[in-house]
Order: sequence, then C-alpha cells, then structure tokens
Amino acid sequence: MRGIASELVVTRVGSIEVRRVGPEDSAADGSSVPTVVYLHSGMGDFDAGPFLVALAESAEVVAPLFPGFGQSTGIEQIDDMDDAVFHLLDLWDTLGLTDPIVVGQSLGGWMAVELAVRHPERVGHLVLVNPLGLYLAEAPIKDMFGRAMGELADDLYVDQSLSAPQIMHALDDLADSSPGGVSVPFELVRPVYETTAAMARLAWDPYMHDPKLPKRLWRATMPTLVIRAKHDTLVPAAHCRYYVDHLANARLVEVDRAAHLATPERPDEIAQLVTDFVEEPHGDRR
Amino acid sequence: VRFFSFHLMPYPALPQDYDGPAWVTCPNQLFDPTVGQDIYNRYLDELVYAEALGFDGVCVNEHHQNAYGIMPSPNLIAAALARETERVKIAVVGNALPLYDPPTRVAEEFAMIDNLSRGRLIAGFVVGGGPEYYSFSLNPAFARERFAEAHDIILKAWTEPGPQEYIGKHYRLRFLNTWPRPVQQPHPEIWIPGAGSLETMEFVAAHRYAYMGIPYFHRSVFERTFGLFRDACEREGYTADPLQSGWLTPIYVADTDEAARAEYESHFWYWVRRLLPGITITPPGYTSVRSLESQMKGAGTFAVNLQTWDEVVEGRYAIVGSPDTVFAQLEECLSSFGTGNLLGLFQLGTLPAAETRRNLELFSSEVMPRLRHRFPEGHPVLAPVSSAGAA
Repeated sequence: MRGIASELVVTRVGSIEVRRVGPEDSAADGSSVPTVVYLHSGMGDFDAGPFLVALAESAEVVAPLFPGFGQSTGIEQIDDMDDAVFHLLDLWDTLGLTDPIVVGQSLGGWMAVELAVRHPERVGHLVLVNPLGLYLAEAPIKDMFGRAMGELADDLYVDQSLSAPQIMHALDDLADSSPGGVSVPFELVRPVYETTAAMARLAWDPYMHDPKLPKRLWRATMPTLVIRAKHDTLVPAAHCRYYVDHLANARLVEVDRAAHLATPERPDEIAQLVTDFVEEPHGDRR
Repeated sequence: VRFFSFHLMPYPALPQDYDGPAWVTCPNQLFDPTVGQDIYNRYLDELVYAEALGFDGVCVNEHHQNAYGIMPSPNLIAAALARETERVKIAVVGNALPLYDPPTRVAEEFAMIDNLSRGRLIAGFVVGGGPEYYSFSLNPAFARERFAEAHDIILKAWTEPGPQEYIGKHYRLRFLNTWPRPVQQPHPEIWIPGAGSLETMEFVAAHRYAYMGIPYFHRSVFERTFGLFRDACEREGYTADPLQSGWLTPIYVADTDEAARAEYESHFWYWVRRLLPGITITPPGYTSVRSLESQMKGAGTFAVNLQTWDEVVEGRYAIVGSPDTVFAQLEECLSSFGTGNLLGLFQLGTLPAAETRRNLELFSSEVMPRLRHRFPEGHPVLAPVSSAGAA
C-alpha cells in the first residue's frame, strides 16, 4: 500500500497539515490524473487513510486538516463558515489548486458546498458524503455536543470494532470510572476536546446548519454526487435528498453498511463511486 | 473574615421516580408552582433573617433551566432583598455576562440594586455554567471573548462619562450611556467566581477583584486553587488581600455531631444525587486547553461523585456537626485556604425551613463569634506555615 505523505503548509490563519497520496506511476507524468481534495468531518477522520489511498488509484489526493484538527493551527482566526470558506480559498491558492474535485464528508461536505455556492469556478466536481449544513424542521440532525462519546460512536459507525469507535467507547468507560478516582488521561482528552471545540465554532449556533445556504444552492452548478449512507442515524436521509433537489446538477447514490462517517468504513466502495462519477461524461454546466 | 449567607434556592420536590439530570433537559413540567410560590418566599425570608443574626452579607446567584437553583434572575431577588434589609451587603454572584445582550442590562440592573440598597451591592460577574451554553444555544467557543467584552462595557458604563461608544467584536454600542449610575464609587466591589480556570484567576488578579472558588470539590482542590490565585496576584506584583478570595461551602450546625448528621444527611444526598447531576457538562471550547488540563486534576473529586458520608467529612464537602466541630473544621479550612470571605450555604437540597433557621441561629451564636475572634478583619487568614509541607 502506498504511503501517505504529510507536510505543513503556511497559510494566513496558521500552519496547515496537508496529507498527500497519489497514483503509484504518476511520478513521471502526473498531469493526466485529476486532483481530489478531501475535506474531513468534524471528527477529523484520522482513520480516513484507506479511503485516501483508494482514491489515489486514479487521482492525486490532497487532504488538508482544518485549523483545530491534527497539527493544523489558526482556529482562533475562524469564527464562522464565511471565515472557513476564505480559508479554503487561501489554501487553494497556496496549494496551486484551480478547480479540483472536492470530496467532503459531514462538516467537510457542508464546507465544500459553502465554497461551491460562492466560488463555483474553484470546484470542478463536488462529492458530498452525508453532508451537514441544512435545517429541516421535519428531520432534525441529532445532538452531537451534549452526548457521551460512546453513544455518539453508535451514530457514526456501523462497525463498533473499528479503532475510532473503540477509542470513543473507552473514553466513556474511563470517565464512568472517575468516582473510584481514575480519571481520563489528558493526552486522550485533548485531541477530542480540541476537535469538538473547533466544530463548535462553526456549528454550535445555528446548530449544524447555515440558514442562508438553501437559497444559495442553485449557484453550485458543477456536477455533484451526493452519497448517503443507509445507516447514518445522525443526519436524516431528507438532507441528502434536499441537496440533490436544490443543487443545480446533483444526483444521489446510497451505500450500505455504513453510518455517518462512511469513508473510513466503506473506503474502496466510496472511492470507486468518486472515480466512476468523475470519469462519466458530464454535459456542459448549466 | 466576613460572613455571608448564600442561598441556591434549590427545587426540593423532584419526584422520586425522576432520575434524569437536573439541568438543561430536566422537564419543566416537574416544576410545581404551588411549591414554587412557597419556597421563593421562604428562601427570601431565610436570606433576610441573616441580617438579624449578624451576618455581613447575603449571596444569590444565577442559573437557568434547572432544578438545582431556581434563580434565573438573581437581580429580582436582590431587589427584594434591598427593600427587606438595611445593613447587609447584597452579593449577586453573579450575572452570567455572556447571556445578556447587550450587557448594558447588567450595568443598569446592578446600578438599580446599588441605589435601592443605598450602596450595598457586591457585583459578581460570571462566564455562566456549562449547562447555560446549552440552555441558551450560545456558542461556548466565544464565552470568554464575550465575557471580556461585557466586563469592559460595564466598567466603562460605570466609570466613564457617557454618552460614549463601544465597538467590539461581539457587541457594538454607538450610545453607551447607562442610567442610573451606581452609588458606590468608582464602582461596587466586584467578585468573580471561578472553577479553577487559569484565565479567570489571571483576569481577577490583574483587576484586583475578588476570586470566589466554585464549591463542591475536595478540600485539596481548594487549597491548590486559592494558592494558584495568590500566585497570580504575586505575578501582578502584589500580595493578595484575604478579602480578595472567598470560599463557598455547605454548613450545618446542631447540638451534637450525631444530631447534625442525622438531621442533615438525607437532605445533602438529595442535593448530590438529584440536583448536581448534569451540572458538570462541559461544552466544547468553553475553556482553554491549558485550563481544562488544570481543572481535570480536580474533576474526579467533584461532589457529584460522592458515595459515602465518610468521603463527605474527609474532603470537607460540607461542614457538619456540633458548634465545636464546625468551628474547628472551618478554622482549619480557612487558615489553609487563606480566604477572607466565608460564604455558607445554610439551606441545601431538601433541608426544611425549621432546620434551616435553627442552623443559621446556632451558627451565628455559637460559631461566627469565635471565628470573628480567631480571624479579625484586616489580618492574614492563611496559616503562616506553608500548607504544602504540613501533614
């Protein structure tokens, strides 16, 4: 399996950790393969490695970590989704990205749409995996900020034996044992706290959505694939359908045996969906 | 040492079969107004009684959407106290500044209370508890920024001639010009409660305000917290005055140790097991990473985890016993914490009116005079030998 390289890139808000992986034989002539940018969820998707590698079968994959995630700094410069989009524009310029294929999961999907409605010329293709960003009165997004980690893990993953849900359940077990004097080691808590704090800046209020987004969706004219995981119990199916109905040029596909964080759980299948989608002929933009 | 009677105004009638949290999602159908109208008036009477018994002041605080303390507006209670008392300090500890938008409301209401009480207000400013950020859907990531801006607005409104302008990130006020102005000049005494957050201590130290330790931890946590606060003052270039810190603790006095425990214990456990659950929820971004790390050192000792009465006594989570026992334990704690304000909770959980009054009476007649003698105002409270090396 190819390795994922990691580098720090300096941007206006701070230094950004960028993970990269490309096709095995791309070194001599990389110009023919497309570039895919992967925008992670609010959990950071530290287990997305296999997905990135699978995508890299036929693309140069660039996976920046948002400020507040991993080694990326500068979250204190970002107050809302507007700041987030400007950060992405800066990052696109810094990394020399013109109009890449943008794949975003959950929070990353929401961020990708916010970029796409403002600057459709900077997003060649758009792929949204269980995106956030909408409020639908009849289908609210479940609470993410006030619940125990283990309970949240059940919404995020079908297979609870994967490493990420295991860690989330372990954090709960440690916290539960605190009356006896055992408390959770701070090294375990720190990344979880920093990650959810970064998420809160963008998504606490309005909760997980942008009230202005629906009236702007028509502006995203690029070919768009919305991927819905059948077992996503955090974001109801109506959200993906709403995106498909209101984005200019979108269609829906469902994947089985995955929950809200689908890319770590179905890496090959979702990577194949992305590859096929990009390779299929698309008409001129509307 | 100054003595304050603090009331949480707990809701004492949660049904037996309710075992959920007392905060944020505790169903408001559980609030019975026929109970409410009685306890609000009773609790006010208990606060007013403290004046007759010789206390220096009374304290109220602010919490929302919960059964732990039904004072969403402590300023309303303080206004009633201003009319029903003549001498005692009225400490509102405090108003949760980020919840007021714009925070000029706090400058106005506190100034009203200061006028009504003829200059007896102690103005408390708090960031607000973790649960409040859920109850208000207010972004916890901006809690500290909003607190700092709101504080600046209030102080500016009180101390600089208006009309003036305040343009910040979270609040923009083109005409800052609050009426009335406070009686106490340049402004009322300011207290800031804190739960061990280093930023809060540094803020209080820098402004030379008073730091009130958030209660219900093991005594070792208080010892550390108040030590950290004194260190913060030293870093600001001065030695903290004892009146710059305060310790809040449940107190119950009866004729004997046995009687005290027998009368008090069940009411204490109602508070621990029914009213505390849910209070510790920490919203993301509410505190800095370095403060979180510092606070986690004491988190396991928070009272919600208490299981046995022995733990309560050993950790001094409540000071309960005969006058001699209560005096001895308070003397020990005060001299190891160095705090010049003692904030006693004389009613807790379901403790009934008769027991509360007797508790206040016994404390004020049998314990308070001895403590006043032992810790005269204007003298250090901290024991001269560093507690770090003591057994």
